[in-house]
Amino acid sequence: MKLLLVEDNERVSQFVLKGLAEAGHTADHADNGRDGLFLAASEPYDVIVMDRMLPGGIDGLGIIAALRKAGKQTPILILSALTDVDERIRGLKSGGDDYLTKPFAFGELLARVDALTRRSQGSTGVTALEVGDLRIDLLSRRATRAARTITLQPREFKLLEYLMRHADQVVTRTMLLENVWDYHFDPQTNVVDVHVSKLRQKIDTAAERPLLRTVRNAGYMLTAQE
Amino acid sequence: MRSSAYTLAAGYIGLAIVALVLFAAPLWYAWQVTINDNRAEVLQQDATRLGTVFERSGVMGLADFIRERVGLQIVEERMLLLADPQLKPVAGNLPAWPADIPAAAGTYTIKTSLNGKRADLVLVRSNLPGGYSLLVGRDVSRFQPLARRFWYGLAAAVGILSLAGAVGAVLIRRAILSRIQTIRQTALAIVQGDLSRRLPAQRSGDELDTLAGTINRMLDQIEQLFRGVRDVSDSIAHDLRTPLAELRSRLEELALTRPGPERTFEEIDAAVADVDHVMRIFNALLRLAEMDTGLRRSGFVETDVSTTLAEAVEFYLPAAELKEVQLLYRDHGPLSITGDPLLLAQAIGNLIDNALKYAGERGTVIVESERLADGSALLSVSDSGPGIPDAEKPRAAERFYRGEASRVSPGVGLGLSLVQAVAKLHGGQLELLDNRPGLRAQMRIPAMAVTVSMSGLSSEAPARVSAVAVY
Repeated sequence: MKLLLVEDNERVSQFVLKGLAEAGHTADHADNGRDGLFLAASEPYDVIVMDRMLPGGIDGLGIIAALRKAGKQTPILILSALTDVDERIRGLKSGGDDYLTKPFAFGELLARVDALTRRSQGSTGVTALEVGDLRIDLLSRRATRAARTITLQPREFKLLEYLMRHADQVVTRTMLLENVWDYHFDPQTNVVDVHVSKLRQKIDTAAERPLLRTVRNAGYMLTAQE
Repeated sequence: MRSSAYTLAAGYIGLAIVALVLFAAPLWYAWQVTINDNRAEVLQQDATRLGTVFERSGVMGLADFIRERVGLQIVEERMLLLADPQLKPVAGNLPAWPADIPAAAGTYTIKTSLNGKRADLVLVRSNLPGGYSLLVGRDVSRFQPLARRFWYGLAAAVGILSLAGAVGAVLIRRAILSRIQTIRQTALAIVQGDLSRRLPAQRSGDELDTLAGTINRMLDQIEQLFRGVRDVSDSIAHDLRTPLAELRSRLEELALTRPGPERTFEEIDAAVADVDHVMRIFNALLRLAEMDTGLRRSGFVETDVSTTLAEAVEFYLPAAELKEVQLLYRDHGPLSITGDPLLLAQAIGNLIDNALKYAGERGTVIVESERLADGSALLSVSDSGPGIPDAEKPRAAERFYRGEASRVSPGVGLGLSLVQAVAKLHGGQLELLDNRPGLRAQMRIPAMAVTVSMSGLSSEAPARVSAVAVY
């Protein structure tokens, strides 16, 4: 996967680039707005990671607006030190696809980048999702594992659907909070973990091969792989 | 200092004089023209009548007629004179033919003296057949005082107007100046750093008082923000310093002792957790600051708060089950208010989170929403825990306050302050009551979150703080 990182802070850039390389991605780097816009407009990237405040005459939101105006649909993850909810909404309105506030854990960044590439591959028109022998029908809202029917509360179904849409990817607690509950704040306690473990009890019974795994220091992953 | 009061007064006096003149001039003109014309007409008619007498009965007849008329007159109201072609008087009450009457027939005004008195005569001359001339006239000198009185009256009016205007200007200027002077002195004191000073209001409700009131509210807000900045720096100094000190010593110890890789990684993980904790406090402080300044009302929409509550309860339900706490939502139907659903969710979430923490094993937490008689919404979270002692209640919502009982549980001590800030932002109030046993925390929120006045926000808030400066 090929990424573009537009970020002016040298330490942060090195940290992110190194992490992306370790995760098997290649990434270009621009340390100012002008170069960032040039690269983003001329090269095909899978995901662009864009800092909001940049030197070089044009800031992150300006670049995004310019790219969208030119018809470029590359998924963009905005990095920002502005934590304000209103700022987040502004960022997404300008054409960004996701918003991550600084400072961030690298795991969070990687998980969100992966989620964005999955989204760009498109999942519209899908009526059923499958991971191993776990299967959900999005129309009848039924979940089954092998021959066993799983009874789920509406919110549990939404949680499972999100995990299955991002199968084989790390999904962080914040991503779950934002996408399943639409909560954009820190609920202080580990409530998300409790929800996930409840869901796990329903889909992974003792006799079955576990599908929902906990990834240390990052979040969760639903996968049928060994 | 140029005085606007003087300029204004002079302008108004000028205007009043112009108005007076505009009123008097037509009056004067009407008087002069109409009366004079009328008089000339009467005289002309008289002359015509006398001319008819002349035609009918000749010179002697007219002379007799005139003598008779003059004899009948009590006062010398009408001047009559018939003269022969040499302008020698034949009959009449004028002693001689006036020298300055032109030869042509017409109406003339002359000044002369009659019996030693000054007289203004209006005379109509008509030339009769045979070279005879006739003068019919009237002495108008007795109207002079009337005209004079008119002019005196006008002058007096202008004088009174100017004087009253000038005196008024001085008085108004003095009154306004003294009040502006006090405002200025107060403002100067505030500039010098005494933010507690306020402009004096005289309760008369006039424009200056209204202005003073508005400025005072502005000063309240400034003082509150100012204190907020100080509070935030105090809070940061107090609560961020401790975890930062721990972090520092952890890292320093690591650098000094250089333990094995296993222990090093453990310490690094712990250090990252420390940083996350600091970030949490920092974010919570920023969010509070943002709300205290009242800047967050942009996200207000019409929302059914019972849905928000139901979702929050559903969110915390598994956590409650895990602790074997019974979490219930008593729903009394849809409850529409104007507010920010996200912030309300966070506030209720904080209250539920707190309640779950303190409810104890097999305890109960009841979330309830209802509409009060006055239309406001009452959102409450009650638990069966130990509650908060009455003495501690007022301080409970203070920033970083943590009850004695909670020292061991995690959290940053900003939960209740945030709830209070959210309630205030919605024009409401957080109340901590005794649930016998336990704590009942309730938010009272008006149905229409009318724009809370800034002074309302600032009043008696134990945990108000805020800080534009933090950004």
